[in-house]
Amino acid sequence: SISACNEPGTDAGSLQTEQHARSMMRERFLRCLLSMANKQIQFDMYERVKVNATFGASDIDVLNFQVSDLQTPIGVQSEALIRCQDVISYSFDM
Amino acid sequence: MNTTSAWRQRTPRDWERYVNKQVHVTAHGQQQHRGWLHTVDPVTASVVLVRLGDAAGGCSVSVVMGHAVEQVEVVGEADEETAMRLSSLFRPKEREARAGGGGGE
Repeated sequence: SISACNEPGTDAGSLQTEQHARSMMRERFLRCLLSMANKQIQFDMYERVKVNATFGASDIDVLNFQVSDLQTPIGVQSEALIRCQDVISYSFDM
Repeated sequence: MNTTSAWRQRTPRDWERYVNKQVHVTAHGQQQHRGWLHTVDPVTASVVLVRLGDAAGGCSVSVVMGHAVEQVEVVGEADEETAMRLSSLFRPKEREARAGGGGGE
């Protein structure tokens, strides 16, 4: 899923600029994920489902979130994996 | 309209132009999100938005998954102080201690 700059005429300089942009943004994103550990997160999912859970970890491709105490409409699941493709957005307070 | 994939297929340099901008993000189902754009994950195109509180205090963070982003609209620019706060937001503690020592104003 990683897109590279394939435009004709791409030189080493612009490739470096792109790599710099990519690494800066990825680092910010990973630090954001790190700061979510053990926080209460609200997930907005498809079909208007909203659930709360304590965030644990994400896999490196951000395909799944591992959470604890997932509060679902039919009860609390003590440990769960959330498929990221089912999530529209999530939010938390710092 | 295929706007969702349009956002995911942008290049890192396109996304970088939105960093530290105040944006309005429309997600799947007409969900609206507003805040300062902290970053875009270059792998998943997910957008991290921050709503800053008081100078000292907390903030709330929303992340819109890249696959659900339909539209991103810039509504404002960050001043220097806001940009600084945004870039130091999730930094490790040691830098925070160094930066937080003298802040009187």
